[in-house]
Amino acid sequence: MTAPAGITLTGLCKTFAGQGGSVEALRDVSLNCPPGSFTALIGPSGCGKSTILRAALGLEPLDAGSVLIGGQAPAIATRAGITGVAFQDSALLPWRTVAQNVALPLEVLGRSLGPAQGRIRDLIALVGLKGREDALPGELSGGMRQRVAIARALVSEPRVLFLDEPFGALDQILRRQMNVELQRIWLETGVTTLLVTHGIDEAVFLADRIAIMQAGPGRIVEVLDSPFARPRLPSLFAAPEFHHLCDHIAGVLHGV
Amino acid sequence: MAFRVRSIAPYLALLILWEVVGRLDLVAVGALPALSEIIARFWVDRADYPRHVLATLQASSAGFVIGNIIAVLAGVLFVLLPVTARMARGLNIAIFALPPIAIAPILALTLEGMTPRIVLAALGVYFVTMQATVTGLSQYDSRAADLVRAYGGGGRAVMRFVQIRGAIPAILSGFRVAAPNAVLGAILAEFGGGGRWGLGAYLLGSLGRGEPDRLWGIGLTATLIAGLSYALFAALSARMLGASRSVTLNPAAPPAPAAGGGVWIGVVSFLLPFALWWGLLLALNVPGMIGKTPVDVFAYLFLSEGSAAAQGKLLLALGETLPITALGLVAGLAFAFGLAVTSQLAPSFTRAFLPVALVTQTMPLVALTPLLVLILGRGSAVTLWITISVTFFPAYVMITQGLSQVPRSVLELPRAYGATVWRELRLVAIPASLPWVFAAIRTTVPRALLGVMIAEWLATGRGLGNLMNQSRGYMDFSMIWTVAVVSVLLSVAFYRIAQITEDRVLRRSGHP
Ligand SMILES: Nc1ncnc2c1ncn2[C@@H]1O[C@H](COP(=O)(O)OP(=O)(O)O)[C@@H](O)[C@H]1O
Ligand SMILES: [Mg+2]
Repeated sequence: MTAPAGITLTGLCKTFAGQGGSVEALRDVSLNCPPGSFTALIGPSGCGKSTILRAALGLEPLDAGSVLIGGQAPAIATRAGITGVAFQDSALLPWRTVAQNVALPLEVLGRSLGPAQGRIRDLIALVGLKGREDALPGELSGGMRQRVAIARALVSEPRVLFLDEPFGALDQILRRQMNVELQRIWLETGVTTLLVTHGIDEAVFLADRIAIMQAGPGRIVEVLDSPFARPRLPSLFAAPEFHHLCDHIAGVLHGV
Repeated sequence: MAFRVRSIAPYLALLILWEVVGRLDLVAVGALPALSEIIARFWVDRADYPRHVLATLQASSAGFVIGNIIAVLAGVLFVLLPVTARMARGLNIAIFALPPIAIAPILALTLEGMTPRIVLAALGVYFVTMQATVTGLSQYDSRAADLVRAYGGGGRAVMRFVQIRGAIPAILSGFRVAAPNAVLGAILAEFGGGGRWGLGAYLLGSLGRGEPDRLWGIGLTATLIAGLSYALFAALSARMLGASRSVTLNPAAPPAPAAGGGVWIGVVSFLLPFALWWGLLLALNVPGMIGKTPVDVFAYLFLSEGSAAAQGKLLLALGETLPITALGLVAGLAFAFGLAVTSQLAPSFTRAFLPVALVTQTMPLVALTPLLVLILGRGSAVTLWITISVTFFPAYVMITQGLSQVPRSVLELPRAYGATVWRELRLVAIPASLPWVFAAIRTTVPRALLGVMIAEWLATGRGLGNLMNQSRGYMDFSMIWTVAVVSVLLSVAFYRIAQITEDRVLRRSGHP
């Protein structure tokens, strides 16, 4: 894997004009994720987290502001295969098997599939779906589909990883497991990660830095560090200083 | 088991009734023979059938394949580049609305051998499949498309990875509806183009001899071919879908133009059909005496010395064709609407009748016409009945299916408050079914004109259809082209009027 690239968001503004009036989804959002960092974006539902992520990938035209990924515009960075993404919804193609869905980014990027077969297999095993390579999405549970999406996000060996509530559909136990796995992958690869989540403990456990958002208009109100040493063990979830930080974030979220 | 007996009982009753009526020669002195008599005659004629059937099958399957390839490619193009869809709008409506019988003689004049039949079959499938392709491609999963774009994929990558495969069920159901159209197109071309082999030629040759049992045999064979082709693709798409989809008719509106667009796109859209007409004449190197350009037709009708006579003949024919088309259309639609709404209130009736209506839908019009001629004679009654029957069934099926999408609770709400049946109709059933009624009008208007023209051509010797047939006999090429152009323009005009009225009324009554 080549050196990670950073994410620089500067002054993002976005207003949606819908049927029931317009929604100011983002107002002057700036965020800098240095190469190799792990940033969590946390905030109430509808505050614009997904919009930020989509804008960073060049999927959402902005009213103002700029996005740089590794110093490049999103369109160039995504086409070069620098980025990996898992959306809030698994968005699997119903007619492709698990393995074929995982391989999709490689096909879109025009890379050859032959050398990647082993890697695809490993990733499927990593997300706990060994033996289900040839299953169709319709035969999987919601949580399993979400895990396929995570494997798919990693298949292109990205230098920048965008994750939008990737564990939202998982139960608490599996979620903890996946948190630990994600940390392991991040430590191994050093991929710059931007994780959107509404789980405070998940953000504190995984991230170096946590950006807290509020809605109406969507904006970042505070950025703070999660100072715990790596690798973080599951026992951290029970530590008092961990809870202290979580409580602080909950306070900011609820505006107290 | 009890269910199966119940579901075939109406058919069995119908068959028995048919047998009795036929044996006793109750309909128009034997014009409707019993099924057993038809089968006996079929056995006698069995040596004739293979070559006729083969010829029709060859033309219709070639047309089916070619038409569908063009339709799918066009659909993909229209979705990738919406501006092309707007430019081709005029052409698409013209192809949808054109009465095949009107251009059959022209194709026979300008093309050779089997080609006219193949072209007409292809024209018959093009619109349905193109429409299905556009619909299928437009209804893709936007989240999956986002994923492809997140890896730098453009419109073409989204098309390749998401849209094409996602559209296959829709395209297959398009094929299903298109298959009987290919058979109809091929048979109509056989009518208009001469030639010895083919079910259309066989039918035409047998028409003058007054042998009802043979005519019925040919008609039923054509229906069977159309029905089987429908069933084949129904089975195929059921396999692709896991048998979950119900049979739906495509309300077949050409792709809605995106907002804006500018005047020049409208101009291109209007001129494209004419440009194509002219271009094809040039490309095929058709001699000027036979192939008439748009300018030739205009000159013939307005500038030549014979133009007054030509106009007179045309107006006379129009005066005969138009009133009866309108009358048949209104009667057919009213009948369909009434039956659909009442059967909504008595669902067991729908269950028994809808399959019959669907079967009749696949019966090629050309097969039906001679049979109705036998029963009703050659007067105006036959024209009227044909028009009613071609508009009634599609309208009935469409309105019934539309109404079945309105939740029963909504339909029954007024009744829960003690409303009378009429008030219930006025409050709920009529407004709810309005979009479907209009879809039915839009799709059946061209069919009505086609039905009238076929009847005039084959039976009554009046109107546009007859003028076309006569001009063919006199080798009056200018008149042949003129009638073809006028009937296509007429059909398109009807269609547009229906569409504009639909837009107005639906917008006013709060439908999206
Ligand atoms: N395509 C859209 N059209 C109109 N409004 C939208 C659209 N996408 C998002 N919004 C609005 O923007 C706001 C932010 O949405 P989103 O970024 O999805 O929130 P979340 O933080 O839950 O991910 C919401 O109020 C949502 O309704
Ligand atoms: Mg979201």
